[in-house]
Amino acid sequence: MGRVNDVGGQTGFGEIAPEDDELAFHADWEARVYALNAALLRHRVYNLDQFRDAIERMPPDRYLAASYYERWLTAIETLTGDGHE
Amino acid sequence: MSDTHASTPVAARVRRLEERLIEAGLVSEPELDEILARYLAGASPLNGARIVARAWTDDDFRSRLLSDANAAITDVGLSMRSGLQEQRLKVVANTPGEHNVIVCTLCSCYPIGLLGPSPSWYKSEAYRSRVVREPRAVLTEFGLTLPDDVEIVVHDSSSEIRYLVLPLRPAGTDGLGEDDLVGLVTREGLIGTAAV
Amino acid sequence: MSDARFRPGDRVRVHNVDPDHHTRAPRYVRGHHGVVVDSAGEWPLADDRARELPDPRVEPVYTVRFAARDLWGGGGHSVTVDLWQSYLEPEAEA
Repeated sequence: MGRVNDVGGQTGFGEIAPEDDELAFHADWEARVYALNAALLRHRVYNLDQFRDAIERMPPDRYLAASYYERWLTAIETLTGDGHE
Repeated sequence: MSDTHASTPVAARVRRLEERLIEAGLVSEPELDEILARYLAGASPLNGARIVARAWTDDDFRSRLLSDANAAITDVGLSMRSGLQEQRLKVVANTPGEHNVIVCTLCSCYPIGLLGPSPSWYKSEAYRSRVVREPRAVLTEFGLTLPDDVEIVVHDSSSEIRYLVLPLRPAGTDGLGEDDLVGLVTREGLIGTAAV
Repeated sequence: MSDARFRPGDRVRVHNVDPDHHTRAPRYVRGHHGVVVDSAGEWPLADDRARELPDPRVEPVYTVRFAARDLWGGGGHSVTVDLWQSYLEPEAEA
């Protein structure tokens, strides 16, 4: 089944909007999510392909509404057994 | 790090997750801090720029870079080994007749160690969907209008290979040494959304 | 480890499958033909690793070049995609 992340060639996503002097993280929580994921991968709690799979299985409307690190957060919650939706 | 709106719902959600994982013994606070520090210190487009400057000034290095980038970049003290698994680096050289640009349509893969943290535009659905279909228009929006006779090749990083563009050396730079050349190379040039 | 079926210069077609599981063949190339331009090493198949299969297949990955004209009916550019061997089948010469 086609997954929402598989966007190559699709139309309608609007303008590409580069930000000037963008920081690596827009907020502290994003950095925490980054670090959590790296640690969990390092400890082999899950692998990178499972992580991508968990992001891809987000309901399409949630995926598209979520920011980049919100998707990561959702995937980590899914893979570490948090029942949050 | 930028703003610390620690009271936002998503920040609270992250704190709860972090507490749960620390309590479960899966991660530790010092480890998380160390990971962040190393990431922010180590990943930078200056690394990619150094590779390019060396390739512009050393034909032997350039040739080795194009045939086995993983080995060649150790010459400048770099490595693709920083992650869990060594990824394969492939350097694609722009020529007068061909311009390369990189994307990951499926997620947002790119060589973070050599380019620094990826910009939001690179990760956006807008870039990922459009650059494979209408790269010429996308590049023009980035300020890069290529002559009609320059062919564009878009590289979709769908597996474990990570791509770096080797831009054309700008005209009028023959007098510059390697260190000065490093300063000419931008992250966008290494991705392919700028000439250099 | 699977033996290498393809090499640079071979024409290949991407299987037109739509799996339920995680895969790394983008929809826009499925069913389309291209040319192998490079062998890109052997790697554990993402589809297997995502499902935590105990013995993920390790397969050659190929860089395959597609003409935009063939993918979308227009555009003078080409797109390369790195595809695992089991995503590909041989394509007869035109």
